Amino acid sequence: MSHATGSRVQQHIGDPLSAEPALPLTKLEEIFKDIQSDLRFDHELNGCLNCGICTATCPAAHYYDFSPREIVQLLWTENLEGIYDAMQEKIWACAQCYTCAARCPFGNSPGGLVMLMRETAIKHGMQSAKNVLRPFSRVMLKLISTGNQLSPDMINRDHFADWGPNISKIEAPLKLLRQAIPMPTLNTTATAWEVNLKTSVELYTIWEETGVLKQLETVDENLFDVISDIMDEKREDWKDFLADQEDEKDEKDD
Amino acid sequence: MNAKPVLIVGGGPSGLAAARALADVGQRAILVEKEPRLGGAPILSGYAKLVPSGEWAKDAIGGMVSAVEGNSLVTVHRGCTVNEFDGKPGDFRAKLSNGVSVEAGAVILCTGFTHFDSVNKPEWGFGTFPDVVTTTQVEQMISSGQGVRCPSDGRKPQRVAILLCVGSRDRQIGREWCSKICCTVSSNLAMEIREELPDCHVYIYYMDIRTFGLYETKYYWKSQEEFKVKYIKARIAEVTSNGEKLIVKGEDTLVKRPITIPFDMVVHAIGMDPNVDNKTLAKTFGVGLEPHGFIGKGNSYDALGATTRAGIFVAGAATGPETIDDSIAQGNAAAMAAFALVSQHAARGVAA
Repeated sequence: MSHATGSRVQQHIGDPLSAEPALPLTKLEEIFKDIQSDLRFDHELNGCLNCGICTATCPAAHYYDFSPREIVQLLWTENLEGIYDAMQEKIWACAQCYTCAARCPFGNSPGGLVMLMRETAIKHGMQSAKNVLRPFSRVMLKLISTGNQLSPDMINRDHFADWGPNISKIEAPLKLLRQAIPMPTLNTTATAWEVNLKTSVELYTIWEETGVLKQLETVDENLFDVISDIMDEKREDWKDFLADQEDEKDEKDD
Repeated sequence: MNAKPVLIVGGGPSGLAAARALADVGQRAILVEKEPRLGGAPILSGYAKLVPSGEWAKDAIGGMVSAVEGNSLVTVHRGCTVNEFDGKPGDFRAKLSNGVSVEAGAVILCTGFTHFDSVNKPEWGFGTFPDVVTTTQVEQMISSGQGVRCPSDGRKPQRVAILLCVGSRDRQIGREWCSKICCTVSSNLAMEIREELPDCHVYIYYMDIRTFGLYETKYYWKSQEEFKVKYIKARIAEVTSNGEKLIVKGEDTLVKRPITIPFDMVVHAIGMDPNVDNKTLAKTFGVGLEPHGFIGKGNSYDALGATTRAGIFVAGAATGPETIDDSIAQGNAAAMAAFALVSQHAARGVAA
């Protein structure tokens, strides 16, 4: 893997009109190296014809100052300042639909590259990552602690303008309606479905092993603390459950 | 000296050129063509004016056909394929599908290509919307004298988009190669459309323009300066319809914004695929294919047009995307190599 090879001579990169301190070039190189050294990078970036089919097909590009082709260009040309700049706002406009990847004649995945940049933004605790993720703290709480992200009791009118007139359906007696679903695990409105205790505990192992919890700690320490407490509690419950099982077994054996 | 004939498979530009060249030096040739008439793609697909001569295909290639058909040294089998084949250089035997068995001293494969089938790129609307057509169809509209019209209702289009690289340079559908001719052909077609319909706006959507060599002046520059053809550096995401017009969604990569433009007609500049029969041909004649599926060349710097099997030569678009001019040149080159081979064998036979 080649190291970043910008021919730029400036050692600090900054905006003369901004009060923000200038960034050392080494920081930009470090960020790019983190993106480039991911094993997905070479698979998702093979070159670029600048044909623009990715941006043409991109739903986000029609509404935001975001162009998947520009992202590919920045990475392909190792434009360190451009990459850093795109990570401040642009990369968060992508809806991760991957139509770009399905269409690219070169077999690139601009959506996949955006994901790498987002992961790197989180790893470096960039303010943009914190800002973008803050409104999702409730969703993240639900997702990380239970494994399902939206539950019926989380839906309110203000947050789902895109539902249009359909939003009135949330006025229905959801609890009662869900009682009618034959699967007992769906007879709840606090989660999308009732999550088995063992599944939850296994899920926590996955979060730890894949570094998700570490990412969370970087962008939202408070939420991390809350979720850690829930995890400890559930793991305690699981231990108790196993102990109970053991006791029952002993009783039977006696 | 009584040389065996040269077996030529395929009666398009390269096969016709090879047959004519052999006859010109007094060498017998057997020409086998699977279709009921000679001429290859320019005649069978009804091309209009050819690049770069500007002559109508039926005159230019038609002349080559007459030169071969009227030649006593060339035996032509139409509507016919080679079913069985064996032997060695100087002494091959072939059984044709019409029951005739022939002997040949050498073989030239002039089996050409197959036009890319645009239904393999469904998001660009071919097969879904009747006014999405191919360059071949537009050639036919022009060569038949009908003129460029929207197939749905026969109206004259006011806006036409020509999409380049349809079935070329596209890893998504397994076609990484550049088909070489489509940029020039499309520039030529754009000028022909503007000539017939001066009020019609013609846009060409491209990734790179490859009107290579001298074609740059005659097609790329001329189409813009004299014919006001508009070139947009963009590849199209999808062709849809609003019920009235075709809607073409792309990004103008030079101004960096997505653009959506309504059109009356969308033309796919279709590329050149390996001949769909290449696997059968490779098996019948015992020759290798190159990685894309075209007929593989034995070498580049020894006998002209060599395949991987001695005594079997190849010319034209059978080897990869090729222009008509170069196909003709390759047909002549392969004829020279085949002639040398059969002559040497004949001389040896006399000496023995």
